[in-house]
Amino acid sequence: MTALDHLLLFSAATVLLALLVGQRPYGGWLSTVFYAGQFALLMQLAGVGYSGGIIVSSFSLTVLDHTMSWRFDALSWFFAVITIGAALLASWYSAGAWGKKFRADGGNIGLLHLALALNVFSMLLLLASGDFLSLFVGWELVSWASFLLMVMAGGAASRAALKYVTYAMAGAMAIFAGMALAYHYAGSLQYLDFVSVLPLLSASQGWMLVALFGCGFAVKMGLLPFHLWQAAAYAETPGPGAAFLGAISSRMGLYAIIVVLFQLIGLIPIEALKISFTFLDGQSLLGWVAAFSIIFPTFTALRQNDARMLLAWHGIGQGGYMLLGLAAGDALGSAGGLMHVFNHATYQAALFFSVFAVVHQTGTSDLNKLGGLITRMPISFLVMLVGIIGLAGMPPMNGFVSKWMVYRSLMLEGMPLLFVASVIGTLGTILSVYKLIHNMFLGQLRLEHQNVREVPWSMVAPMVILAAIVLITGMMPGLVLEPIASVQAALGLPVVNYTLGGVDMASGALDMIWVCGILFGGFAIGAILFYSGGRTQHIHQLDNYAGGHFLTADTRYQYSDNFYAGLMRVIGPMYRYSFQWLENSIHSVTGLLGSGMKSWYRNAQPSFYLLATAVLAMAWVVVL
Amino acid sequence: MNPAEMNPQDMHQIVLTVVLPLLAAFLLPVFGRISMTFTRYLGPIVLLIGLLSTYVVWGEMTQPYMIAIGGFAPPTGIVFYIDQLSLLFTALVLLMSLLLWPYHRDTSVREYSLSLLLAGAACGLALSGDLFNIYVFYELASVASFGLVAAIASGAAYAAAIRYLIISGFGSVLALTGIALVYTQTGTLNLAQLALLAPEQLSNITGITAFLLILLGVGVKAELFPVNTWVPEVYATAKKRVSALLAGLVSKLAVLVLVRLLVLVFQTEQALQIMLLLGVLGVISGELAAWRAKDMSRMLAYSSIGQLGMVFIAFSIPGEAGLYAGIAVALHHLLVKPALFLLAERWGKSLEGLRGAARVSPGGAMLFVLFALSLVGVPPLPGFWAKLLVVMGLISQGAAMYSVALAVILIATVIEANYFFRLAITLYAKTEAGEKTGEETEPKAHARLDIATSALFGAALIAAVVFIVPLGQQLKDTASQAANVKTYISTVFPTDGR
Amino acid sequence: MSVIEILIEAMLMPLVAFVVGLFMVLMMRKIGARIQRRVGPPLLQPLYDIIKLYSKHTQTSHGWMHDIGIVMAVGGYVAAEAMLPVPGMNGIAEKGGLIVLTYMIMIPSLGLALGVGQCANPNGSIGIARALTAMLAYDVPFVIVVFGVAWHFGSTNLVEIIAAQQATGPAGWGITEMPLLAFAGLFALQGMLGKQPFEIYVAPHEIATGPMVEMSGKHLGGLFVMQCFQLYTAAVLYVTLFLGGGENWLTFLAKSFAVVAIPMSIAFVFPRYKTDDLVRLLWKWPVMAGLLGLAFVMN
Repeated sequence: MTALDHLLLFSAATVLLALLVGQRPYGGWLSTVFYAGQFALLMQLAGVGYSGGIIVSSFSLTVLDHTMSWRFDALSWFFAVITIGAALLASWYSAGAWGKKFRADGGNIGLLHLALALNVFSMLLLLASGDFLSLFVGWELVSWASFLLMVMAGGAASRAALKYVTYAMAGAMAIFAGMALAYHYAGSLQYLDFVSVLPLLSASQGWMLVALFGCGFAVKMGLLPFHLWQAAAYAETPGPGAAFLGAISSRMGLYAIIVVLFQLIGLIPIEALKISFTFLDGQSLLGWVAAFSIIFPTFTALRQNDARMLLAWHGIGQGGYMLLGLAAGDALGSAGGLMHVFNHATYQAALFFSVFAVVHQTGTSDLNKLGGLITRMPISFLVMLVGIIGLAGMPPMNGFVSKWMVYRSLMLEGMPLLFVASVIGTLGTILSVYKLIHNMFLGQLRLEHQNVREVPWSMVAPMVILAAIVLITGMMPGLVLEPIASVQAALGLPVVNYTLGGVDMASGALDMIWVCGILFGGFAIGAILFYSGGRTQHIHQLDNYAGGHFLTADTRYQYSDNFYAGLMRVIGPMYRYSFQWLENSIHSVTGLLGSGMKSWYRNAQPSFYLLATAVLAMAWVVVL
Repeated sequence: MNPAEMNPQDMHQIVLTVVLPLLAAFLLPVFGRISMTFTRYLGPIVLLIGLLSTYVVWGEMTQPYMIAIGGFAPPTGIVFYIDQLSLLFTALVLLMSLLLWPYHRDTSVREYSLSLLLAGAACGLALSGDLFNIYVFYELASVASFGLVAAIASGAAYAAAIRYLIISGFGSVLALTGIALVYTQTGTLNLAQLALLAPEQLSNITGITAFLLILLGVGVKAELFPVNTWVPEVYATAKKRVSALLAGLVSKLAVLVLVRLLVLVFQTEQALQIMLLLGVLGVISGELAAWRAKDMSRMLAYSSIGQLGMVFIAFSIPGEAGLYAGIAVALHHLLVKPALFLLAERWGKSLEGLRGAARVSPGGAMLFVLFALSLVGVPPLPGFWAKLLVVMGLISQGAAMYSVALAVILIATVIEANYFFRLAITLYAKTEAGEKTGEETEPKAHARLDIATSALFGAALIAAVVFIVPLGQQLKDTASQAANVKTYISTVFPTDGR
Repeated sequence: MSVIEILIEAMLMPLVAFVVGLFMVLMMRKIGARIQRRVGPPLLQPLYDIIKLYSKHTQTSHGWMHDIGIVMAVGGYVAAEAMLPVPGMNGIAEKGGLIVLTYMIMIPSLGLALGVGQCANPNGSIGIARALTAMLAYDVPFVIVVFGVAWHFGSTNLVEIIAAQQATGPAGWGITEMPLLAFAGLFALQGMLGKQPFEIYVAPHEIATGPMVEMSGKHLGGLFVMQCFQLYTAAVLYVTLFLGGGENWLTFLAKSFAVVAIPMSIAFVFPRYKTDDLVRLLWKWPVMAGLLGLAFVMN
């Protein structure tokens, strides 16, 4: 029994625990303890994560002449840290007051805990897969576990979950086809055999593999054009579930892409696949898909009026950065892409926790119905502030470091258009997150929210922990870059030259310790200059310039709707909804064909066409 | 090839599985006048005896053997051929008939009789080694199923039964024509002898025509496109136990017959191609129609058409791999579909009316989800492994048609997932207080038995997951044994073969 | 360069920036006055204004974020100045390069935006929305320029960029080697300074000075300080990228003041564009020029 077996068994035990005691009041706390236990077991595997190497599970299964095996390497360890960490904090968040309110409102808290535990277990299985069959089995289990988590709320959530499962199955079938092709070429489903047969494949065969695997995994990750399911599905999931899904669920698609496309097939053969009549090849295709996956969802997020949908759309967009960094292919880019997985998980979860804290206290996440909560929920505000600075990718938070690395690598590789595209994404993000924090926490406090209070500590603690992680890993990114360097070594990619403060390079290094230090020093100086200038008098929000009018408490004096009116006038016509049109047309065509088939079967006079069929069949036989 | 190690008594025990049910079926109306209780128990007892003999034979059998009925040697006489495949199907026939027996109090003697007739004829289909015998049992099974379908005595059922009868009759004519063609070409109807003569005498146009005719004829029961238009109406309007029996069991036996013919007699590329084409069309039409179905029984019926299309595609893969894949898919469908039909007994009405049904019957809803997951092919459930075999088999073929079939199967899976889980979500939907949940008031006992039987199938499914490795190995042996034509011929004609 | 030396430089550079910035503000007001045929304010007027605002008796605040916002606005620039090399002092320019600087100068805007948010005045919020939109508009040509410059010099380290330009003299300056990019950069600079015609976020007659509507006393004083830093930073950044940095203080100051004078002269003869027109304009000509320049640079 190796350390990996301990981890997997303990994770399975957590599932059992959630099944048995999920409904009890202490169920959430017990689950949290078990996740902490999983995390501790994972730390025992930390040698793999930091120094490389592989830990193999002692369990393997041979079914139908295919052998399935499980193992952890540096990449698996890295993703597992994020998975279990996210689950731990989500479970903590749900354990106290949130869980009580959820149960009181008619929600099934036991099912939530069970779904969360199942998600973690299936993700660990996927991360531990050691051959194509176990990869596919893990993949399906992850897809269905996510479905369970998404569908449990009912109503809008179940509609979104149905859409998700249709997309997920389509992706899974693409992967199945790719796996079958791999078996056909290599004679087995083992990675080593696949790698050895790769150089012998022709270009079209290579394209088939890349397309099938790429599209299949892209569905889970939410890359264009397979992204339409993700926002609604993640947004409608109850609180901690949404945070967990947003943090790590779609990154399972990225994990699979990294394993199959970058580790097994390799970037160089992908670059060798050219698309005729264009200047594109496989690598630049990946880069452009990533770039569009950054821009379109980010600008869709800009139009959202529901805080959860806004965050969910940003989640889709940030996935593009991860793929972009990896597609750039050099040490800096891949490190940036991988670090972005970690960074995104931290601040996305923090943002979702903050938003759901507001929902918990006010009952709504509609941005046009909130405002001014900064005085009532200051900690949630601070967490959201840290989160949005991270999401926007500005110093001193960790989001800046990973984005910096991606930008730098694009500069070094000489890809200006991709660089501009990714910066446009960042700018759109800044606009969008400012709207989020302004409409929620700034501006005028509504009359009905005068008595709102901060959420209890069981919800505050995980938020603050995440915010602290965002800040600390922003100031000392070397903490995260160390395991990432071993991931790069494990994948066969060039390794980034990291320091505790950032990256050491000849032509433009980064030292976040200095940058953040000077930044905070600057704030200190600014504070000294400000607070030494005499006492301020705090005035009421209604004591405000209103063009000569007097404001009263029932006057709605908040600018929130259509926040970027001028910009929308310019880019509004650019929202063509083409992807939705495509989705709807596929739906209609299927419906049409289905009705056709149904009417075939309801035909009242079968004998005639039976005769016709028999005659035609005879004719076919005679002719052929 | 000398089955001398087996006790002759035990060897011939297998005939009981055909004879006893037939006898009991004809005698039941007489017993019915004397004692109703005895009549009620006779059916299951007969089936149990048959099951027991099958078990004994399975334990003792080491290699395939044949029984010359009445002592007349083949090719003149009728032959029963017993190998792992036929034994497996015989056992399944008896087991399924037992589980899906109409245990309800108001069942008439006629229904018991017809059920036994169906069971006996089905066993005969599984065991026969002779085309004529097969045709006879096939007709017997058809007649029994007509009666069973109409037994519910509703107008819709009568209309469906008439439709079924017409198509089936037409199919029988086609099958008989095909058999006649075979006879004119080769002068024999014994499968083993046909296997010997087929390569020279049946690989011409007449041979292919014969196969096509038999395919369309027997395919009526096997829900083959395009002779399967009777399926939705019949499955929707008959008693669900009968639908379960037809969809799960009888269709597989028809497929078995076709497979035997394919392996032994019509081993040509065109035959495989026809099956592939019709299978693909079946999958497309079945799954797409299911997507638009408005009530659960019809949805299951269309889905059944689609699944059987996949079975045909699997069997159209040449060689042992095709048999292995086909048997796996067929068995899986046999396990899942009847259970789903049992659930549809309570829920067979409109899909919209099922909103929130999970509240009333949580076990049923959970079982539905389990079966849906297996049908769609989610690992580690058996449906996935069966699909894996089909996919791997298809990809190893070079012809473009096989790749098209693969793409069709994969797309059909997506559509399947959508409509099954659309229904699953409806089952678990929260309803407002006071809204009709779609449940009717039914005698509790009826419903409990249905759920219990369905749960039994579910348990079998889970057990199949646990024992997937030995099960896979066993099926592989069965397939390789069935694919071996030489074994067949030398078993039926021990000396030399002519 | 020991830690102490760097820290001392990090404190001196903002001081220099503030003083130079004050004079840049004065120059701006003088240019405006001359164009409008006035005399203009006396030499130390900008300083007097700041002192006046700080020493007002009534200092009102809408809350702690309102205060912190101003702290961030000033403090962010103080930190950003430590990254802009001046003749003789490099500060932390080598610890982070062009990209870090670009993001550092967004922090003061964010701080201001948050502070304005708590003021709970829709005029302020509208102003911020327009300011952010303008940022989206001018940053697109700006990042094209950044990419082009970084590619041309093969580095994002400002010290190296300056050294490369000074090694070859005026023939090797950015503006001579990449004229199109320099033009695009100047256009973006106009947007960055937030002066006419890109001053819609202030729009005094329409939205009551936008973000500044509830700012008074030391809050407004902080914003005045921020304006000094803003002019200085924009000018020095442009000088660093395109005009060869500063070989000595004389040339450095001359170049910086010249760079500020151009947008200011343009500003005072223009009215302001609407938001949509602003976005369209900044996404059209400077972007096209930038892309063309980039194409030349990368070949």
